[in-house]
Amino acid sequence: MHSLRRLFLFIISSLILLALSLKVEELRVYQGAQIAIYALGISSIVLLTGYSGQVSLGNGAFMAIGAYSAALTQIHWHLPLFVTFIVGTFSAALAGAILGGGAARLSGPYLAGATLALAVGLPTLANQFTIFNGETGLDYTAGTPPTWFGESFTLYKWFFWIALINVMLMMFFLRNITSSRYGRTWKALRGNPVAAQLSGIQVGGSKVLAFTISAGVAGLAGTLLGMIGFVGPTGFGLGLSFALVTGAVLSGVTSLAGSMLGAVVLVAIPELASVVAHRLGDTERVTSNLPGLIMSTLLILTVLFTPNGPAEQIRKHKARKQ
Amino acid sequence: MQQAINALLIGISNGFIYSLMALALVLVWRSTRVINFAQAGQAILSTYIAFEIVTRTDNFILAFIGGVIAGALVGAVVEILLMRTLFKHVSDGPVAALAPVIASLGLLGLIRSIIGMVWGNDQKPFFPPVSTNGFTFGETTVPFSRMNLLIVLGAATVMIIFTLIFQKSNLGLALRAAAFQPEIARLAGVRVGEIRTIGWIFAGAAGAVAGILISPNDAITPYSLDSLLIFGFVAAVIGGLESLTGAVVGGLTLGIGLSFILTYIGTSLIFPATFVVLALVLLIRPQGLFGSKAARNA
Repeated sequence: MHSLRRLFLFIISSLILLALSLKVEELRVYQGAQIAIYALGISSIVLLTGYSGQVSLGNGAFMAIGAYSAALTQIHWHLPLFVTFIVGTFSAALAGAILGGGAARLSGPYLAGATLALAVGLPTLANQFTIFNGETGLDYTAGTPPTWFGESFTLYKWFFWIALINVMLMMFFLRNITSSRYGRTWKALRGNPVAAQLSGIQVGGSKVLAFTISAGVAGLAGTLLGMIGFVGPTGFGLGLSFALVTGAVLSGVTSLAGSMLGAVVLVAIPELASVVAHRLGDTERVTSNLPGLIMSTLLILTVLFTPNGPAEQIRKHKARKQ
Repeated sequence: MQQAINALLIGISNGFIYSLMALALVLVWRSTRVINFAQAGQAILSTYIAFEIVTRTDNFILAFIGGVIAGALVGAVVEILLMRTLFKHVSDGPVAALAPVIASLGLLGLIRSIIGMVWGNDQKPFFPPVSTNGFTFGETTVPFSRMNLLIVLGAATVMIIFTLIFQKSNLGLALRAAAFQPEIARLAGVRVGEIRTIGWIFAGAAGAVAGILISPNDAITPYSLDSLLIFGFVAAVIGGLESLTGAVVGGLTLGIGLSFILTYIGTSLIFPATFVVLALVLLIRPQGLFGSKAARNA
């Protein structure tokens, strides 16, 4: 009953968002797609850090793996779009499973360093092998919307619909798995690994599973991000991994719903920055660096004063009042 | 044969730079139990300051000294303003354990954006103070120039100074005690808080030396030391993350190893090779070459 109600809720909210997209400006539709995709990317970190207690600074790399494998299968084998989504998701998950095997044996700082190395190193491969087409990257497209959708149904709306449906499906899966046996296992692991092991939880296996699913989710997010933009090393560099971590910390890391909040902030920061930069005289140096400045400052302040996220802080505050 | 010697020479020069970065990371790790990812940011900031001095005065020695002092100061500021506040607010929760890592990441982003605003994101040419043409012996020219010699000598000097401080002075004894057993060191009258700050100051200076010595080979950008951070981290892990000797040995091992891979297999493999080295070390000997088993509990 509970899960039926949840399914109903997901379908209703998806329909509302899809309908809404027909009413707003093109730019907002595009930003809506960005928010949905970032929310999915942030969820991959929420699952990993918030539930299983592992850290990854390299989920941007898994997004790159997803995007590149989806693009390559589309270019070389002309597979239908939804098959490339599956390819993107599963190839990233496979990479996650391989790395997760090693990651499960590592603790905090080591894992952080290893995943950071991945985030820095992987995009450089794009310039080394001709198949990835260097800085220019690969073209990966969702095609044009079917003609029976009508003239007014633009390309951006098409992108948004595809992205939203994928994100909602994946979110529904995540919501279910985190409230299942696996989700509780991960929470137990995060809380106290020794106690979890004593109560019969396979520590290694559970950690690898979390890493694999997280990588798969990131892979799908990367595939979608490649679809609305392009698949190249600049879009999937260290900056993306940073953005995901920032979004996850801002949204409090423990709640999947919070990932929406983080995603909205990630998309809003450049908007806000361009307004401020305009006031400051629009020099190239300010415009290109202000978003990074705001984002890093927010990240530092959040970690310093509300380490478990603003949402958690408010919840605690309320609990204290009662 | 000539090729192997060339690879070795390049490897030694790079290895010394990696060692310095590894030293910086190890010093911070020993004093505060934080992997300071912002070390790359602190180092590039010091390098930009040195660059500014060298373009204004055309005096590399002055620039070097200025950059290193700036690096040390930045290290102190980061420890006092950021890390102390962080540990004061530390609480339970999934993020709290990761807070230092995330804070250092945020700081890296912050420093880069500030550099970008002040100097711009474009490449700046950092002119080498001495020739970068390789020495010639008879007919053969080796890929080891006066600049490489300067790198090796500069890095070695820093290491000798650190060794003297750590092994011969009371300050070094306090640093080692505070790293080994903070509570007991405090009971024995060591001011652990201040000693921590000194650890960060040394680390900042070591990172600055690494940045200023490696940059004349190339142009500088706010991002140009990212890869050095990764190499330094891997070198520190090879050495066990605890040991200063380990950091130097790890840096040289990594530098020479990577140089041979570059020479015989190809440049495309430098990052995958680094990653494989890191994975192998972590899986086979996670405590590193010089670390004790008990060291890796964090």
